[in-house]
Amino acid sequence: MIQVEHIEKEFVSPKKYPGLKGAIKGLFSNEKVHKLAVDDISFTIDDGEIVGYIGSNGAGKSTTIKMMTGILTPTKGKCLIHGVDPNKERMVNAKNIGVVFGQRTQLWWDLPLSESYTILKEIYNVSDEDYKERMEFLNEVLDLPDFFDKPVRTLSLGQRMRADLGAALIHNPKVLYLDEPTVGLDLVVKDKVREAIRVINEKYQTTVILTTHDIGDIEELCSRIIVIDEGKKIYDGGLAELKETYGTRRKVIMEVRAVQQAKDLDWEQILGKPADTFTVEGDEENNLLSFTFDKNDLQVSDVISAVMNEAEVKDIQIQETELSEIVKAIYQHGL
Amino acid sequence: MGKFIRTYLPFTSNSLKQNMAYKGAFYLNMFCSIFAAFINYYLWMAIYGSAESGVLAGLSKNEMVIYVFMSYIVSSVAMVSMSRAVGKDIQKGDIAMTLIKPMDYRMSLIAQSLGTMIYRFILPGLFVWIGLEIYRVTGLGLPAVRISNILLFLLSTFLSFMIYVLFEFCFGMIAFFTTYIFGLEMAKTAVLSFLTGQLIPLAFFPEAVQRLFDFLPFSSMLYAPVMIYLGKYTGSTLMFVLARQAVWVVLLYLLGSLIWRQVVKRLIVLGG
Repeated sequence: MIQVEHIEKEFVSPKKYPGLKGAIKGLFSNEKVHKLAVDDISFTIDDGEIVGYIGSNGAGKSTTIKMMTGILTPTKGKCLIHGVDPNKERMVNAKNIGVVFGQRTQLWWDLPLSESYTILKEIYNVSDEDYKERMEFLNEVLDLPDFFDKPVRTLSLGQRMRADLGAALIHNPKVLYLDEPTVGLDLVVKDKVREAIRVINEKYQTTVILTTHDIGDIEELCSRIIVIDEGKKIYDGGLAELKETYGTRRKVIMEVRAVQQAKDLDWEQILGKPADTFTVEGDEENNLLSFTFDKNDLQVSDVISAVMNEAEVKDIQIQETELSEIVKAIYQHGL
Repeated sequence: MGKFIRTYLPFTSNSLKQNMAYKGAFYLNMFCSIFAAFINYYLWMAIYGSAESGVLAGLSKNEMVIYVFMSYIVSSVAMVSMSRAVGKDIQKGDIAMTLIKPMDYRMSLIAQSLGTMIYRFILPGLFVWIGLEIYRVTGLGLPAVRISNILLFLLSTFLSFMIYVLFEFCFGMIAFFTTYIFGLEMAKTAVLSFLTGQLIPLAFFPEAVQRLFDFLPFSSMLYAPVMIYLGKYTGSTLMFVLARQAVWVVLLYLLGSLIWRQVVKRLIVLGG
């Protein structure tokens, strides 16, 4: 179980001034800029959960992960990973975790991948039998043999990411931290990586904490998401609930014969709702008439039956708000 | 202990391999430094040639020959620089990748330096050493070095290596505060070539300055093993010199731990 209790991280840096004049001024000034990157965040994660940790750039995601992995020391508060405080007992904690930073590699740049794995095997003190079993499993889900003997620097990004993921799993960690594991990958490799994460989670009950900007990662992997913005936690809950609570906008698109005519009808009266609860749009080119509304104000079925009474409808399409739009809305306005 | 060796041995063998991989750079370096050693040699020969007495600061002309080349060997074997690697790790934030593994950053660096040290001991160390001994017996007509001196020299050189890498670790930590240490690196190299006795034997410095050197770790980095090899230290002085080296190993180790603990607290890893 992972417990994060009221952690805070403040970065202090010398104040910089713009331009050459500013650079000279900076030499003599001693002003400091304080930035609260993570502001009083708490959450608990149970074993075997896959949690998406999302937020816009600079929201404090990576900083939180770095505090949980023992790289950074929190300014306030603490986290316990399976009862171990990573900042006090970094080495003990390190044995229990696997980490992949999408933008860095933990492999040895000049060595063949196989050598990197051998070194990691020794560092984590993995027995020969466990190592063999692990490698069989990793080869299967990550297709490592294709490039197992190549030096790491010659690997493509997709290969390197798979290699890094494998490296983080050699010692069968209880917790796996993935910081943007699919950044810059093509669709096929992305799928491969996601599939691997899912299989690992199912087979070994590994807790996975994932930061990403790719909504696809979240939709395919996470059952729970934590959203942070400007260092503060603004949402923590199930993905379904998020959609349920915030994805209440519906769009009904209908193909009708005379679009313009249908659009000009007095919908306010027909639907019996004030005009600001819905919008009507007509697309004459494709003969499409669309209604956008909140499902708490209007029922989808009411809208459809009302339109069917007034016009000849050939086709109906109902759209829910996509997760990406919900997330975008959260980033922009908060909840 | 077995686990300890198994954890860090890969780093040693890894750095051995890398040293062998970048052969070109290595031979070029070796050529440049041996060139410098010969310049030093001719310079001293000129000084001794024009000196009135045959013995300067307690060293005869023949001893000076040995001093010049042995200090060259010790400096290439024991003085394995790692502060630049530390600086790079910090600047690029790669240190994060070490911190997520159950291993000690400093130990992994020492293990890596050990690999370089072993490599340099064989190439060029051993060859120059054997060449020097042959010249000593045939050219200078001196008796060959005693086995006991060789053993003491090796022990002292190993301690020098430990002192140097532990010092380098502390020095590299400066990068945490400045994020960039190239300039300091250059300054360090220049200052060390003086303070360790690489350029001029420390016996040539004024008394007062030598007293000051006694309280600094630098004389234990190079001067001590070379003087031991020359047989300049005997009995209690010898014991004292070796003990002082050991003390510096302990002190610098503790200092490094102290700095490291502070540094980890205020570590900032940006991006990614």
